[in-house]
Amino acid sequence: MAIAKMHKVYLVGHQAEKERVLGLLQQAGMMEISDIREEDADCEAWAPLVESDQALEAVQELDTRLGEVRFALDFLNRYYPAKKSMLEALGGDRKRFTEAEIRSAAVGWAQLASQVYTDLRRIDEKLMMLRNEETRLQNLKALLVPWAGLNVPLEEIRASSAVRMELGTIPAAELPACRDGLSAAAAGAFVLEEVRSGRQESFIFLAYPAGSAEEVQTVLKERNFTRQAFPGLTGTPSDNLTLAEKGLAALETQRSEARTQAGRQVEHREALSYYQDFLTMERDKQQVVQNLGRTGSSFIMDGWIREKDLAALNKSLSAYETVEVVSRPPSEGEAFPVVLENNRLVAPFEFVTKLYGTPGPSGIDPTMALTPFFIVFFGLCMTDAGYGVVIALLAALGLWKLKGSEAVRKLMWVLFAGGISTVVFGALLGGWFGVEILGAPLFFNALADPMRMLVYSLALGLIQIFFGMGIQFYRNIRAGKVLDAVYDQGLWIMLLVGLLLLAAPPLSGIGRVMSLAGAAGLVLTQGRSQPTLIKKFLSGLLSLYSVTGYLSDVLSYSRLLALGLATGVIALAINTMAGLLGGSVIGYVIMVLLLIGGHTFNLVINTLGSYIHSSRLQYIEFYNRFYEGGGRAFVPFRLKARHLEVAPEGSETAR
Amino acid sequence: MELGLVLAIIGAALATFVAGIGSAIGIGIVGQTAAGVVTEDPDKFGPTLLLQALPGTQGIYGLLTGFLILQRTGLIGGNPLELTVMQGLAVLGAALPVAFVGWLSAIAQGKAAASGVLLISKRPEELGKAIIYAVMVETYAVLALLMSIMILFSIRF
Repeated sequence: MAIAKMHKVYLVGHQAEKERVLGLLQQAGMMEISDIREEDADCEAWAPLVESDQALEAVQELDTRLGEVRFALDFLNRYYPAKKSMLEALGGDRKRFTEAEIRSAAVGWAQLASQVYTDLRRIDEKLMMLRNEETRLQNLKALLVPWAGLNVPLEEIRASSAVRMELGTIPAAELPACRDGLSAAAAGAFVLEEVRSGRQESFIFLAYPAGSAEEVQTVLKERNFTRQAFPGLTGTPSDNLTLAEKGLAALETQRSEARTQAGRQVEHREALSYYQDFLTMERDKQQVVQNLGRTGSSFIMDGWIREKDLAALNKSLSAYETVEVVSRPPSEGEAFPVVLENNRLVAPFEFVTKLYGTPGPSGIDPTMALTPFFIVFFGLCMTDAGYGVVIALLAALGLWKLKGSEAVRKLMWVLFAGGISTVVFGALLGGWFGVEILGAPLFFNALADPMRMLVYSLALGLIQIFFGMGIQFYRNIRAGKVLDAVYDQGLWIMLLVGLLLLAAPPLSGIGRVMSLAGAAGLVLTQGRSQPTLIKKFLSGLLSLYSVTGYLSDVLSYSRLLALGLATGVIALAINTMAGLLGGSVIGYVIMVLLLIGGHTFNLVINTLGSYIHSSRLQYIEFYNRFYEGGGRAFVPFRLKARHLEVAPEGSETAR
Repeated sequence: MELGLVLAIIGAALATFVAGIGSAIGIGIVGQTAAGVVTEDPDKFGPTLLLQALPGTQGIYGLLTGFLILQRTGLIGGNPLELTVMQGLAVLGAALPVAFVGWLSAIAQGKAAASGVLLISKRPEELGKAIIYAVMVETYAVLALLMSIMILFSIRF
């Protein structure tokens, strides 16, 4: 369990070599580059010599180009989704290039990208236009459909000096009243043809003498007439409908043409994704440049590196004549970025640690300490050997198949360990898929004797809490705070052990002495930071109240029993329900489906629950005793490529 | 059927439906928020579904207690025990912790998880913390389940 030793590094060199040094650092991916301007303490002397390097324009330029490539790739992926399996999505498959190969290819990629971008942009605009046109035609069609029965060319429906003609809708209920009103207003000299009668609206054609226009309009307004005009259209409505249909069909053809054109660019997708990676790489480099300092002809950067990588850094930079590397360990109290370092078996559990946060630089990496507890707790929360076998097998399959993402592999390792532990505790305390296939549990049946299991659960909790206090005790000793260790951990352990012994009759005498001595010690010491004697005593007295905190923390471990029982009882319930079926073919089919579905559900829900609750016991009950957070994770400057990989100079490129 | 057995059955029903109602409401709350977040970013479906599942456990605890009651009283298996009224009341009492704590804690957990959904909509890398906040609520449902089971196992039939 360790937080890696870090060194502060300063790099000074000639401007001419800056780009190449940055490229090298990016590929090595072992140094975190800090902003030189934040280096106030050391920088004072240099401040007048150094101005911050400006690479803003370069970054913006690269971002613009990245935007173009992304647009092209998104466009292609939208219309021609890349076929990739889930494994590829999780794992990724990268092509190796040497630095020189990338440089020479990049020129071609840039040309290709700008050509593809222009092309696709044009197609995109075309498609947009087609979409707008389609909407217009669809709307027109919807307007025209009710008038399909009207055999009058639309251009003739207008107002002349003698006759006025109009189209419009009127609420169906108003139609008779409207007809009556109009015959009064226009003295019978009018035409009202109902072109189509809808359930609520009537679509009507009206013609009346211009002379009675005013009266007619009054009647129409009264009856809620809505005028409908088709400016610019010629021919009958049904002619226009046919035209619109034709127009829509033509649009469809144009659209598929545009898509075919876009399809021709699909072959460039691979090159474009390499170019995207290349641009991202360059952009990241230029962004880092903004953190550098410069003089007329030199550059300076500072950052952090793991102590063990220092030699490698020096070696790889030795080829650069002008580059000078200076390093030093962090000064007392200086906050350095945190890397967790563990051996290969424990390292996956950093996944659990990091879910909570990064420990502080002066803290302790809890990964090693929590690993055994996590594994045991996970197994106890499941307590079914059959489920354990399934989890372990699936996790092993995942480890075998998923080569890519480090985080996913870590999670699989954690689940694999948890699965094995589940098999062990299932065999000891539970069953196999809720059934005692292989005879009674080897230790005892937790389901039949939950009280006994509760005692074991709480005992495990006590062990972990004492262990946590032990870690803090050790930390205090190591930091030279022996008195703190004795007062804050030693006395508490004495009190708690004493209280426990009280419950064991033959030892209750010792228990009484220990707990009284511990309590007295705590009253005397816990207020030691207070200024006055009375305050010292009072806060010492008050500190005894924390005993409730220990009590509730220990009780919290009862969840191990509850969750273990939950898994077992639900498995039992599924089996019992399935057992009620059978007898006929259909019955057996349903029984099998119920068994498979039910156990899968139980497995998924309880794996989730076991993972979460095992984590929670670490974070809340265990960390509480010793953990010091607030650390900043180490973020080395490195390649963020998804499709290409940079091979070291001079090495063979595979494939 | 004896009154004692009827009381036990009421207990099994209470544990299942009261806790179940809570889970249903809780999951509904998270689902509403999650749907809103997913309209903006469909990739969040997986993590939000994980958070939505959290208030579901109370209903499961209720079902499990109900099942245990049926099993302990012999209702599953077809040989119901002859319970006295007092035994029946005791079984009914055993159902109450998981029923009521399950009901209210599932709703509270749903709210915490819904806020967690909002948290990960802005900071997807903090899924772990969002889950932990919701799980803090779950503790009390677990404790209630534990008490229900302990009472049930301590009743002598």
